Amino acid sequence: MSALKTENLVKHFEGVMAIEGLSISIEPGRITGIIGPNGSGKTTLINVLSGMLPIDGGCVVIGNTLRLKRIKPHRVHSYGITRTFQEVRLFEQMTVLDNILVVLTERGILSALFERHGAGHLKQAEDVLKRVGLWDKRGGLTINLSYGQRKLLEIARVLALSETGQAGIILFDEPFAGLFPQMVKIVSSIIKELKEDGRTVVLVEHNMDLIREISDHVIVMDCGNLLAEGNAKEVLERRDVIEAYLGE
Amino acid sequence: MEIISQLTLNSIIAGAIYTLMALGFNLIYGVVKFFNLAHGVVAVIGGYTVFLLTGALGLNLYLSAAAGVFFAGLAGYGFDKLVFLPLRRRKTSSMVLLVASLGVFTSAQAIIAIFFTSEFRTLGAVSAGENIYSFSGGVITQTQLIILISGMLIMLGLTTVLNRTIFGKAIKAINDDAEVARIVGIDTDRITGHVFFIGSAIAGFAGILVGFDTGIQPTMGMGLLLKGVIASIIGGVGNIYGGVLGSFLLGFVENFGIWKVPGEWKEAIAFFLLILFLLVRPEGIMKR
Amino acid sequence: MEYLTHLAILFFIYAILGVSLNLVVGYTGLLSSAHAAFYGIGAYATAIALTSLHINFFLSLAAGIIITGIIAFLIGIVLSRFRGDYYALVSLGFNVIVYSVLLNWQGLTRGPLGMPGIPRPEFVFDFSSNISFLILSFLFVIVIYIISRFLVASSFGRVLKAIREDEQAVQVFGYNTNYYKLAIFVISAGMAAAAGSLFASYITFIDPSSFTVMESVFILAVIILGGLSNLRGSILGAFILVLLPEALRFAGFPQAIAAQMRQMVYGLCLIFLMLFRPQGLLGEYKL
Repeated sequence: MSALKTENLVKHFEGVMAIEGLSISIEPGRITGIIGPNGSGKTTLINVLSGMLPIDGGCVVIGNTLRLKRIKPHRVHSYGITRTFQEVRLFEQMTVLDNILVVLTERGILSALFERHGAGHLKQAEDVLKRVGLWDKRGGLTINLSYGQRKLLEIARVLALSETGQAGIILFDEPFAGLFPQMVKIVSSIIKELKEDGRTVVLVEHNMDLIREISDHVIVMDCGNLLAEGNAKEVLERRDVIEAYLGE
Repeated sequence: MEIISQLTLNSIIAGAIYTLMALGFNLIYGVVKFFNLAHGVVAVIGGYTVFLLTGALGLNLYLSAAAGVFFAGLAGYGFDKLVFLPLRRRKTSSMVLLVASLGVFTSAQAIIAIFFTSEFRTLGAVSAGENIYSFSGGVITQTQLIILISGMLIMLGLTTVLNRTIFGKAIKAINDDAEVARIVGIDTDRITGHVFFIGSAIAGFAGILVGFDTGIQPTMGMGLLLKGVIASIIGGVGNIYGGVLGSFLLGFVENFGIWKVPGEWKEAIAFFLLILFLLVRPEGIMKR
Repeated sequence: MEYLTHLAILFFIYAILGVSLNLVVGYTGLLSSAHAAFYGIGAYATAIALTSLHINFFLSLAAGIIITGIIAFLIGIVLSRFRGDYYALVSLGFNVIVYSVLLNWQGLTRGPLGMPGIPRPEFVFDFSSNISFLILSFLFVIVIYIISRFLVASSFGRVLKAIREDEQAVQVFGYNTNYYKLAIFVISAGMAAAAGSLFASYITFIDPSSFTVMESVFILAVIILGGLSNLRGSILGAFILVLLPEALRFAGFPQAIAAQMRQMVYGLCLIFLMLFRPQGLLGEYKL
């Protein structure tokens, strides 16, 4: 029983193949790392899985039962999937608090119209912001945060979705990039806690130490294909994996 | 049958005028990547310069026309240096530039109206004794023929410059990626200024020709601009050949469209065509 | 005194236009240049209802709002396919199309001749005196403002701002942004229609020239000056931009060029704002 599967997934950009017939399976309740050299298609994969890029071939299977050849962006949330962004996509000219509240409040137009002051969600927002240490910055504009704080806010955002049970599958796209060691600790402990809460975590990363430390399973991509998979230790010692990284 | 010939001729003439507007617009869009709505008012500036020089100062027609083209170019250059360049330096979004260009258009048009009043005027007594040529039943005036020929010449001239000169190559480089162009040593600000001059001069020329063909009015800028923009987008924004194709397509659809539908709906027809293209083939006839 | 009342009524009408456009441009980030079209449709619908159908003002107002809402819905669906500059351009196109219709569908609108003889509202009260109309328009402003405040302070308002910031990202978090954009566009258009009804009934004569693209540009100038994403800003912007040209008149410029002076002021305003203060006076958002 997989949480998320791709079957012969294909994605191309104007003739350039980014993902070529990829078939992988993400098992529930564990942390699956996805690694590979630049251009191997990792971020493209996350973009396809979160409905931000259309599927050109093959399909995505959610929870063994839902086969999808088309994923509409705003339906992704209803499938229990959420994600962070490599390039950090926050709502810049809104407050830190609003950035969290907006993923907690009502999705339907009518209910949203009649919901005031973040309704019952202020406590949830507070918990999540305190967890990443951004609670005192809640009234400030996101555009004024430092790089590290912005990465943390992205994490807080998906944490909020997990804590409220809206998301069971969380896709992280290079969450550790550019973080100080202290922040790395916070993020990696949050990810481990997500697993303890039974969430399914997909982690695209370049930092091999972290991958070794927290992933249960590792998938290696190269040139849009699956190169290897297994547990971190084995995979990272394989010759073809090392060559893929060095060769480029 | 005569109607068809006349409509065809009218379409071609309209297409030629729109081509002039589209050429300038596309050239400028290619380097700055925002919809410069002030492009409409430089055409008006061209027309009124000629009006001022021939009328008030009694200057020779050809000199006035040359001056008109020059001043239109200068105006465009000035708008860039004073308004758009400072904004570009700050890396503002293209929407800010669009709003700023709207401001330039609005205020410049108003200033022209204040000095010259909003009356409709024709340029030069030349039009009175004009030659008329006839093609299979349709008629075309000398001015209109000039419009046609100059449109083609300018397009040829422009493509030659773009493809054969270093200046043209620099423009294409900026077109592709302004950041990279700057890094490899191209003085993008200076080249952009020149492009504004040339593009606006062409628009000024269009305004003068329209002035001879029908007449000038301070508010004519918006109409000319919108046609040029529509033609550019239909043809493929930023593509010179596309702008020409789009212009003629627009000219034909408009003129044949009003065969069956009252003439006042011309503008609406133009916009319907634009929206149709944007919905069905947003990249235009010719992709970049 | 009469003159001041007249200015105040115009100020109130532009305050409504500004506040409603700000919902779409400032809060949702959609650079719409179509607002004058809805202002015009509301004005004409009310004028026709009042003069040809002889219904009372408030029913005509409702008719105007509903008709405008439906047209805005259709236009909004087409517009939702576009972003940024293209959105601005296509909305401008719709403004031109609506203006064309107002000008050319002479059977309905009497075209360039305009529609004269629009009566003042008579509902319980007779609003023919300017002072009473002033109070009526003031009430309209209050109502529109309260509705807008309500919208903006709700979770709906927060979503609009998020759409403005990064629409794709908002979608991933479960929002059908097309519906939200359509909803606010229609609501805003309905408010503009109300302003149109007020205008028609006040001036008692309307013609298409009040609803051109330039008018949309003026309203845009009002909200950019006042500050995007700030409702009080739009009211302030309306105040300044309605009164400033009048002040220029007193500085000695002749009446004949009053309209062009106004236009020049608006244009220069936009330029200076973009160059030096894109957030306007009270704005919470920079373009």
